[in-house]
Amino acid sequence: MRKILFFCLASAGALLFITHGNRLLAGEGFLFNGSLPPVPVPPDNPQTAAKVRLGMQLYFDKRLSADNTVSCATCHIPELGWANHAATDTGIKGQVGGRNSGSIIDAAYMKVQFWDGRAATLEAQAVGPIANPIEMGETLANVVKKLNAIPGYRAQFQEVFGTDATEEAIGKAIAAFERTIVSGPSPYDQYLQGDLDAMTPEAIRGMNLFKGKGHCSACHSGPAFSDGSYHNLGVGYVKGKYKDEGRFVISKKAGDLGAFKTPGLRNTAQTHPYLHDGSEKTLEDVIELYNKGGVPNPRLDPLMLPLNLTAAEKSDLVAFMNSLNGPVPVVKEPVLPN
Amino acid sequence: MKKIISRYFLAAAGCLALLAAAEAPAGAVPVFARKYGFSCTMCHSNYPRLNDFGARYRRNGYQLPGRENDEKTILQSPPPVALRTNAGFNYSRVANGAAADVRQFQLNGLDLLSAGLIDRNIGYMFVYTPVITPSRGSAAQDGVLEMASVVFSKLGSSWLNVRAGRFEPAYAAHSPKRLLSVSPYEIYGFSFPNGLTFDQTQSGVEVTGYGRNGASYAAGWVNGSETGNASQQASDFYARVEKVFGEGQGQTAGQRIGLMGYSGSAVPDSTLPAAGSKAFRRAGIDASLNYSRLNLALQYINGTDSKALWGKSADVNFSGGLAELSYLPATSVVCFARYDVVDTPSSVNMNITKWTLGGRYYPADNIALHPEYSYRKQNSAGGDITENFFTARLDYAF
Repeated sequence: MRKILFFCLASAGALLFITHGNRLLAGEGFLFNGSLPPVPVPPDNPQTAAKVRLGMQLYFDKRLSADNTVSCATCHIPELGWANHAATDTGIKGQVGGRNSGSIIDAAYMKVQFWDGRAATLEAQAVGPIANPIEMGETLANVVKKLNAIPGYRAQFQEVFGTDATEEAIGKAIAAFERTIVSGPSPYDQYLQGDLDAMTPEAIRGMNLFKGKGHCSACHSGPAFSDGSYHNLGVGYVKGKYKDEGRFVISKKAGDLGAFKTPGLRNTAQTHPYLHDGSEKTLEDVIELYNKGGVPNPRLDPLMLPLNLTAAEKSDLVAFMNSLNGPVPVVKEPVLPN
Repeated sequence: MKKIISRYFLAAAGCLALLAAAEAPAGAVPVFARKYGFSCTMCHSNYPRLNDFGARYRRNGYQLPGRENDEKTILQSPPPVALRTNAGFNYSRVANGAAADVRQFQLNGLDLLSAGLIDRNIGYMFVYTPVITPSRGSAAQDGVLEMASVVFSKLGSSWLNVRAGRFEPAYAAHSPKRLLSVSPYEIYGFSFPNGLTFDQTQSGVEVTGYGRNGASYAAGWVNGSETGNASQQASDFYARVEKVFGEGQGQTAGQRIGLMGYSGSAVPDSTLPAAGSKAFRRAGIDASLNYSRLNLALQYINGTDSKALWGKSADVNFSGGLAELSYLPATSVVCFARYDVVDTPSSVNMNITKWTLGGRYYPADNIALHPEYSYRKQNSAGGDITENFFTARLDYAF
């Protein structure tokens, strides 16, 4: 009896080592989807409460647009996962843009901003839509004039930056506010911390698919679930043409044709529809696209391959996506200065 | 009786505990998976067989395609060392042959592996099998440097990659080192006495290339046969072209067909009269066809060997191949059935037929429970040699 007990215990120990020992010995791997570290803050734009408050007001202020009808919050709606549910968004004068607005949750962790990475920093991103003729259609110079004409803003800019409103200060203030919109600990994070009941069995299977057969973490890597790089899934490639040339418009490199930045996946369940053109309505649709290996085109990313996922596996992946939902700050529209 | 029942109960509980442990959060797995934080199934449909992703990773010199700028070298990664072994129960009964019957638990070998990226576009693979002296259930194993190669990727473009050292050559369409079964591919192992076996690694240099259209090529110059090693010259050349139709790499998606040619020379075995190098050739066609979770692997090879290599009065022309059907009902399970055949002239009289049936169940990514049965028949002058082989083993790597 003792021998059998010893055999069972020794075998269990050996198997535990085989299946788990690597993690103990070697850490998590450099593309591992770990928990989010503290928000990175650039040295030239430190976070202060007053700056965040100013940035929040600017974020909600429609006066930053040419006809005073559109603010950042018009497209990135706090109650809708800081995104909205339209495929592409409507700017001033009812103009419809060509890309999905995406969520600003965890934008602070992205290496680059916008679907095509045209902004290197959150500060640059923050002022981009203001000058976009379809979105807010205003000039930055005019916005500066408008804000300096509002005593409540002028005083705040003086308090925070020691100057009147400037283009740079507007970008810094909005970026500082956006750095507070990060996802809190999700069931996945709790699971990583050792709470093995934090995720459902379906989500756990989905997690293993995510970093295995699903090939997801090859691009959706790191704590923010994005490699910050550009990949061509073939979305929008019709009759030999790319409806949107993506990163190519910025880089002019042929390899970037039809390629878009990998979005983060935390709280993604709340931010439908998906992809740069909002063409996939649900997570199930997105997974089906990946399961097919994307849309064949001459620049299809080499990481895109048919997956042969079963219906149960697709369902497990969705369950895992849902386990990435963490609490995000609840923000109500502030009283704006006059 | 009570005692027996409690023992069985305890053993069953132990087994359940093992499986439960294996179902717990999966840890990282050998070398590459550990480096990235991936599961084995990122690159393997069923370890050790590569999936399409793994095939692309391998041909890209152990770098994620398109993410070369993000890669880490071995100095920036966890220790790039892994171990693979398998152990279990083997049953083998040979009729009319020299081999003794086997019916025992055996340790079936051990591989020490190291692999990684030395620098951007420079990868390496190292596999060493240490000497194992047969004792107390350990099957004998020679100490062999199975693989020690460096691959230089994308020398100007994806159409030029160079692998040098001792490596797994590209002429074998279905990897003899990463096959699902324990039972080897007969056609790759068939040769003149003590001659070339296609299922072994080769020393030399190989050039490969591939494009976005699914076409690829490989050409190599290798030592070839190990017969008469002292006088053996590096005189073997091979080439292979393949094309994948549809999305995928032909491993788990897409339809792949390939053509292979091999021309070499070898010194006849020392028991044979002729001296000096004699020529031999191989030509083959292969396919890997995928439908949903089914894969059909096909290989046909025709060989022509100089009569001196066999000690016969005429050149020996033989042919053969394999057809293997595998099915993946779930990520953790694969079943396979294979038919091997080698057809030889009457002067040689070594026709081989073999049926293999098996499966692998993966309680965790890096461990497989592997039952397999094969029935092999080979003609010989003294009557047919038949072998019934069964194994149930654990195959694991970490």
